Amino acid sequence: MRAFAIYGLKRLGQFVLVVFIGVNIAYIITHATPIDPVEQSIAAVTAFGNTSPEAINMMRESLRELYGLKGGPLEQYVNFWRRIATGDFGPSLSSFPTPVMTLIGRALPWTAGLLLTSTILTWLLGNLLGGLAGYYRNNRGLKLMGVVAMGLHPVPYYISGFVLLVIFGYVWPVLPITGGSDVNLNQAMDFNHVLSIVKHSILPAASLMVIGMGGWFLGMRSLVSNVVTEDYVTYAELGGVAHKRILFSYVMRNALVPQVTGLAMTLGTIFNGAIITEQIFGYPGVGALLVGAVYAGDYGLVLGVTTISIIGVSAAVLLIDLIYPLLDPRVEAR
Amino acid sequence: MKMKRIMSLAVAAFGIGLLALPALVQAQNTFSDLPRNETLILENPEGTVKNAGWFNIWAISGGGQSTGLHQVGMDTFWYIDPEKGLEGVWDNSLASDKPMYNADFSEMTVKLRKGIFWSDGVEFTAADVVYTVETQIKNPAMRWGAVFNLNVASVTASDAQTVVFKLKKPNSRFHAVFTVRWQGAWIMPKHVFEKQADPIKFDFANPISLGAYVLKSFDPDGKWYIWQLRDDWQRTSLGRFGKPGPKYLVYMDPGPPDKRVIAQLNHQLDVVHDIAPEGMFTLAKQSKTSQAWFKGFPYGHPDPTLPALIFNTQNEMFKNKDVRWALALLIDIKAVSMASYRGAATISAIGIPPTGTHPSVYHGPMQDWLKAFEIDTGKRKIKPYDANMGKEIADSLRPSMGAQIPTDRKQIDAAFGMGWWKPNPAAAKELLEKAGYKKVGDQWMTPDGKPFTVRVMVEGDSRPIMTRAGSMIVQNWRQFGIDAKVDVAQGTLPTRRGAGDFDTFIGWSVETWGGHPDLSYFLDSWHSQFVAEPGKTQPARNWQRWANPELDKIIETVRTVGFDDPRGIELGKEYVKLVTREMPTIPLMAYNVFTVMDDTYWKGWPTSGNAYTNPVPNWGNSRYMLVRLKSAK
Repeated sequence: MRAFAIYGLKRLGQFVLVVFIGVNIAYIITHATPIDPVEQSIAAVTAFGNTSPEAINMMRESLRELYGLKGGPLEQYVNFWRRIATGDFGPSLSSFPTPVMTLIGRALPWTAGLLLTSTILTWLLGNLLGGLAGYYRNNRGLKLMGVVAMGLHPVPYYISGFVLLVIFGYVWPVLPITGGSDVNLNQAMDFNHVLSIVKHSILPAASLMVIGMGGWFLGMRSLVSNVVTEDYVTYAELGGVAHKRILFSYVMRNALVPQVTGLAMTLGTIFNGAIITEQIFGYPGVGALLVGAVYAGDYGLVLGVTTISIIGVSAAVLLIDLIYPLLDPRVEAR
Repeated sequence: MKMKRIMSLAVAAFGIGLLALPALVQAQNTFSDLPRNETLILENPEGTVKNAGWFNIWAISGGGQSTGLHQVGMDTFWYIDPEKGLEGVWDNSLASDKPMYNADFSEMTVKLRKGIFWSDGVEFTAADVVYTVETQIKNPAMRWGAVFNLNVASVTASDAQTVVFKLKKPNSRFHAVFTVRWQGAWIMPKHVFEKQADPIKFDFANPISLGAYVLKSFDPDGKWYIWQLRDDWQRTSLGRFGKPGPKYLVYMDPGPPDKRVIAQLNHQLDVVHDIAPEGMFTLAKQSKTSQAWFKGFPYGHPDPTLPALIFNTQNEMFKNKDVRWALALLIDIKAVSMASYRGAATISAIGIPPTGTHPSVYHGPMQDWLKAFEIDTGKRKIKPYDANMGKEIADSLRPSMGAQIPTDRKQIDAAFGMGWWKPNPAAAKELLEKAGYKKVGDQWMTPDGKPFTVRVMVEGDSRPIMTRAGSMIVQNWRQFGIDAKVDVAQGTLPTRRGAGDFDTFIGWSVETWGGHPDLSYFLDSWHSQFVAEPGKTQPARNWQRWANPELDKIIETVRTVGFDDPRGIELGKEYVKLVTREMPTIPLMAYNVFTVMDDTYWKGWPTSGNAYTNPVPNWGNSRYMLVRLKSAK
């Protein structure tokens, strides 16, 4: 137990270090952007106007002051960490003065809801079918499924998105193709709203699942194919243990460990959002927020999203490392 | 055996699920509780507004603007229509009359309409105007703060319907600040904002409205905004023109172009703001109920904006007008039109957009001058203008587009533009040699012996039509032996454009009122007093950083001439002649916007045959469309 505690503390230290380095890299990259948020704001408000050049110069100065961009680089850096320590990323420069955390807080539930559900479903189905395919190697249906999975796996998910969009949005227009829920629907979490959210998530989720399942399927099938050749499986079969028990208790359980790691890593990245899926289906979420922020030079918002993502991925890895010794008796904390 | 049974069950369950899908979702309609025949659905090209609940339009970059907020919720003194207007181009909106200046344009008096009310029942008065100006003077980071600070010495209300502006210096165009061409300085509700500690940090949630509609609901995630016709719509400035047709307006983000096409094919988007030419052609072919500005090709509405090849005239390579002219004579405008708009472009050889009043005021009357215009190549004089270029584009499209291409010359001129510069590589060679450039092998060299390398900055996939135009120009120049390159700027374009970090770029430094021949809208900003030093940020709009004493004289004279004074047109023609001789930018075409309207639920759309306003739905002026629309169901 002591060994595990030391191991846990070491990993925690590594986690803090990784987050610190990651956030610093994100800070440097976002602040090195050639996009000036003040110029972006000015371009947006003068794009269709006839504001005089003198007025634009004055506006530029006023905005620099308002956005707090007048201090030196060191002062800005120190202020940044001071704010981060209290969970505050400051105001969004492209939605001034709304706090970055408010914008992220609004978008995150959509992304988390869509990606969490589709990732877990994809993982469960992919692994279950992959496990079956690896164990029942002569089953024609599962063989066919393997061919389909192999064919779909390399397809970029925006292609699957467009195909689904055309099929269910135009050829057989039965599913909504944009937004997170119906227009003009009461936003209270009642049955109608939830049903509407589910309806709107079918296509984006399906586009992710169709492609994502292939990877888990193929991975699990090959893992199971290896495990079934192990002596203890042969022994169990010879011993007359039921196939169902061999499959689920002996084979899949052992093959599942690397897949659990993969799941944790994937779940960690959901904070990035599914940028292309959100664009294709007009789905509200962190990905769309991030893209808009990059174009607007809104480095406060970019930093907010990336920091949460860095923490998400690192925390997932940490969690898996901490759980591993408990899950797999072959791994030992030293 | 058991496994087979499981598989069969799984397949059956999947099949049943698929069949049950329509029952689950029933219809694709995503609108809840809005009677479709009373609802007009328009695209908001801002896309998804990330700060959806922010309605303080007077704070910069706070939230959305063309969510219906500035089209139907706001109002100001005057509107100039980019087309013909409901009752003329000029509309006195909140003002009851045109602006009244004193003799030296240092004072402007505005008479306001009586009987205009905010949607909460409070009467609009001169006190709102005074508050709007004074609040923004105190807060220069507000949207019109800088403009008011620089211009207004004092603003007073003589009575509830009279406002007097004393200006810091004479300005014959000060009224333009309060005149909508897309937008104008919107009036603030004093009784709401005066209760706030900081007007910049106030979100103006549940906004009250001075326009004919009031916000009904909106998506907290910024996808859609619904506006409802006010019960007291007669007490708004739009009420003079009768009751608006739609009871509800939905401004929404329908997504990328392919989804806009799908949404209109499914009759779920009445007005597409803009799509790529290919999307326009699809709708024209597949939807019997879709229509655009022009009945047939080239469909799109020519905005009063002039995309051009803009030189950085502070760059040594482009200081000589002979070089600029040489590069113009290497451009094949037919190829550029095909590459960019697939032929659906309205070309312009002169520095004025070919739209609104301009073809009849400038392009048409200046044809003889253009035909006679000569340039000296150093070896000979040539007449570069080809008055039939628009017709030639139309002729080349006729075999594939058939009856969609007009045959009447007037219609061709309106749709495709009049003439342009005939490609003339021989003359371009002579002009470059005159400027000291030399061709060594296959490569042109600058006078100081370096390769003549020209980067053409384009925005990239966020503006594909202009990017394709730039790519074609690069191709034209490369064929001639110039080392031309496409320089994709993406989101860095505004910053690089301002900093002068480009050789040339595809953009626009010319925008006009469209419906009014006055050119001060963009021209004043071209005065040399505003040209920044190399390396310093150049304020809008003289992106070409071009300084010319003759132009300064024209601008200074325009400043002393009244807005409607016919001398303004003569000065405008002088400007055209000067920029044609000097070629600081190579004008290409109007910014054609493929706004597509669906007849299924609404009729009475503005079109080139019934040009009462601009249909492009993000313009403030698009509100005039609402009073002419009638339900088609």
